[in-house]
Amino acid sequence: MSSRRLFFNEAIARALAEEMEREDKLVVLGQDVGAYGGAYKEFAGLYERFGAQRVRDTPVAEAATIGIALGAAAAGLRTLVSITYMDFLILGLEPLVNYAAKARYKTGGAVRVPAVVKTTAGAKGQGVAHAQCIESWLMGVPGLKVVAPSNPADAYGLLKTSLREEGPVVFVDHKRLFSTAGEVPETNEVSMPLGKAAIVRPGTDVTLAAHSYAVRIAVEAAERLEPAGVSCEVIDLRTLAPLDVESIGESVARTRALVTLEEGQPACGVGSEVAFRVRERLDVGIRVARVAARPAPVSSNAVLEAEVLPDAARVVETTLTLLEGR
Amino acid sequence: MIFTLVVPGPIEDVEEIRVLEWHGEPGRRFAPGDVVVELETHKAIVEIRAAQAGILRRILHPEGSWQRLGEPLAILSDAESEPLPATPELGGKEWAVEFQIT
Repeated sequence: MSSRRLFFNEAIARALAEEMEREDKLVVLGQDVGAYGGAYKEFAGLYERFGAQRVRDTPVAEAATIGIALGAAAAGLRTLVSITYMDFLILGLEPLVNYAAKARYKTGGAVRVPAVVKTTAGAKGQGVAHAQCIESWLMGVPGLKVVAPSNPADAYGLLKTSLREEGPVVFVDHKRLFSTAGEVPETNEVSMPLGKAAIVRPGTDVTLAAHSYAVRIAVEAAERLEPAGVSCEVIDLRTLAPLDVESIGESVARTRALVTLEEGQPACGVGSEVAFRVRERLDVGIRVARVAARPAPVSSNAVLEAEVLPDAARVVETTLTLLEGR
Repeated sequence: MIFTLVVPGPIEDVEEIRVLEWHGEPGRRFAPGDVVVELETHKAIVEIRAAQAGILRRILHPEGSWQRLGEPLAILSDAESEPLPATPELGGKEWAVEFQIT
């Protein structure tokens, strides 16, 4: 299959443009999504191509914006609502969790909410309330799907699939991913199902499980561990809900060791859920460790920010400690 | 003397760029201040200007292709007749440029 190299933000714009082309009912809402093209230029070209009717700028009022987007989807449109900073997704959790995620169940399938809440997580110098990765909060909401790609091809594929779902999906990207580039297949087909993890680097001694930007950190750690004689298998979770426990478990059954990595907080994090589900599944003894943000707010001061965030050095250290005396 | 034009940096967040437009074909003589090439990041244009005189001899990355920061984009020389190296890694000194991000 032929492919074309794109920046991460271009992959998002392309997925949206293609889906808006094929589905007249798809509408985009959010702050700066219109003529400005998105805070990270991930909506570039959509306003010019589809007009103000379908690409709608909204005020700094996330609760109302999310409510409107979900209500419009329940009433028959398809919507993508952009919440620039994931920290402010909190304002819209009520309609998302209590209404959209449960509408299908509550109405016996009569009401569905085909909406994608696209939001940007991650720390990048903007301080305590413009930095958080709270995707693990959403993993336990029945009826809600959560995807978190790490590269342009997955952003493209998973966004297209999400835009065709019958229920709400939270699509989480990351501030540090937009400038990354990668090959994206030249196809308009939807072929990337939700709930499928990917092995991005095969290995035999330990499984490193990560999502979003942290996958890049895991790969860097794996490269650093190789000369030390440690072969890491890096798994990109890609979708957090549903979680592909089967693939992760299959890997850990071989390596017998699991290190989870995430930029969010460790308590009730993605890693603790992954580790527990894998342990439940396997009847062999495994070693488990997790790397996450330190339990502190993320400062806008670069030194303090780096102190809190997980990095490859911490993954290397944690992995070596885990494997000691094996 | 033979020079290599490399993708300048650092540019915040950027590891890789796409070549948007070359301002001239091989054979063109650039004076300090001339725009040589424009590059694209995920959200900005990087305009590369000559900071020394030179003749563009070989474009290694045409428009639409990608390159990483610090890696070669083109070969230049002081004189038209100087023989070119077989590989860009042997292209000699880095050609002096200035760049502006817009």
